[in-house]
Amino acid sequence: METLAILRVTLQVALCATLLVAPFALATGWLLARREFPLKAAFETLVALPLILPPTAIGYLLLALLARTGPLPFDPGILFTWKAAVLASAVVAFPLSARTARAAFEAVDPRLESMGRSLGLSRARVLASVTLPLARPGLFAALALAFGRALGEFGATVIVAGNMPGRTQTLALAIFEDIQLGREDRALFLVGLTTAIAFGVLLLVERLQRRRAA
Amino acid sequence: MSLALRLSLPLARFGLDVELETRSRALGVFGPSGSGKTSLLEAVAGWRGARGRIALGGRVLLDSSRGLSLPIEARGIGYVPQEGLLFPHWSVRRNVEAGLARGRGTAARAEVGRVVEVLELGGLLERPANAISGGERQRVALARALCSGPELLLLDEPLASLDLPLRRRVLSFLIRAREAFDVPLVFVSHDPTEVQALCDEVAVLDAGRIVARGSPREALRGILRPHAGFENVLRGRVAAVEAGTAHVEVAPGVALVVPGTGLVAGEDAVLALGADEVLLAMEAPRRISARNVIAARVETVVEGGEGVMLEAALGGETRLWVALTGASMRELGLARGGSVHLVFKTQSVRILSGKT
Repeated sequence: METLAILRVTLQVALCATLLVAPFALATGWLLARREFPLKAAFETLVALPLILPPTAIGYLLLALLARTGPLPFDPGILFTWKAAVLASAVVAFPLSARTARAAFEAVDPRLESMGRSLGLSRARVLASVTLPLARPGLFAALALAFGRALGEFGATVIVAGNMPGRTQTLALAIFEDIQLGREDRALFLVGLTTAIAFGVLLLVERLQRRRAA
Repeated sequence: MSLALRLSLPLARFGLDVELETRSRALGVFGPSGSGKTSLLEAVAGWRGARGRIALGGRVLLDSSRGLSLPIEARGIGYVPQEGLLFPHWSVRRNVEAGLARGRGTAARAEVGRVVEVLELGGLLERPANAISGGERQRVALARALCSGPELLLLDEPLASLDLPLRRRVLSFLIRAREAFDVPLVFVSHDPTEVQALCDEVAVLDAGRIVARGSPREALRGILRPHAGFENVLRGRVAAVEAGTAHVEVAPGVALVVPGTGLVAGEDAVLALGADEVLLAMEAPRRISARNVIAARVETVVEGGEGVMLEAALGGETRLWVALTGASMRELGLARGGSVHLVFKTQSVRILSGKT
């Protein structure tokens, strides 16, 4: 039963984090692939930053931001709930998925988009009927990667959401706790479970990317 | 068509600087690869930014001095690029109908039917666009552009990606489409045969500038070289078809005997005849297997390094370039104004326009 609760929290957090990060990652990927603007290089670096920052640093920044005494004009009241874990996972998953989305958009020949417009389609129609369908496998791969990254999130999550069994304890947190407490058998079991899920996600990403190449 | 352009845009190796005004039904832009032809078309279509002014009919598409540049979708220009650029995730039908969104209702649908018929696409419509051959792809790209109801069609070397036999086949479709649909076109190519077959007027582009302009005959004069495979393109009316050959009248009272494949009596025909395929005789040869012995007058003689290009007038406006060596010319004593007989075989004439 405990394992089921851990699994439920893990999947819930990862899924919600993926849904949360998706619009931002896709929009950022499109922006980087298709638009030129001032300070683009700086923006690119900023997008990549969470990839390199220690997750604990990101956790600390989120903690400072979300605290009752933080800079926000209201108290979001999500610290040490599963929602904070979602936010932390989403932030950490953002760079990877945005970069993958960017590559997916870049793989679509921009001349095809010009062609669509020459045929009288609006920019929005071209995006919906040409760009998105052609980029789709790569965009799904971006989301699958976000899901995978969220699945393994530890550093930022433990800081903003704590490690409360049944509420905020995900697989990554549970494994850490089991090792700390010397429950090696259970740790090993959870490691096996995590590996199986990660394996499935990566397999999916691989297949999606191969489809894009074909 | 009335198209007026004054464009300048920087390219990698030189600047494109073009000023051009035309009322031709079909304007050819001829030039070597890398002369800026594609950039010129992309600027007209709005795919690429440029400075200057473009007016099509009464509409101004670009006027950078007033900060005006119509977006691509408002330009009403059909584009057929070298690589076709079909939407790979759609069927042929959906590609062809993509431009119907421009919205002209049932009239546009009827037009689709006619385009599909003229370009013989009926059997392809349900196929995925990424599963058809190169020649089919270019026909679909042309159909798609025609069906979007454009006011001007830009064809960017639509045959260059095809091998020679296929090129000739697709060229016949282009000639047919030009006859069947009343859309003015700009046709970019570095193939003199194609340019002559499709265009009323030619601008020769070199390193971003127009260096010659006029009828195909005048404009291409500068690139004529003896023994370099130059083909004459002749237009005429099919007088009769019999036993595998056809008689095509290319000048008043002058009929050529040509292969009959795909020709129909009473229709127009476009023919090609290589400058190297024609023999010259000072007197009409008799008892000879070649079916074409045509009396002509020497109009122009251009001596080049490798030989001589001689322009023969057949009557009316019809002219033919013939390549020969300098020695032949001296031996025959050929000079401007003299009479000659042009001799060539039936099979030396290729039919560019016929149904295949």
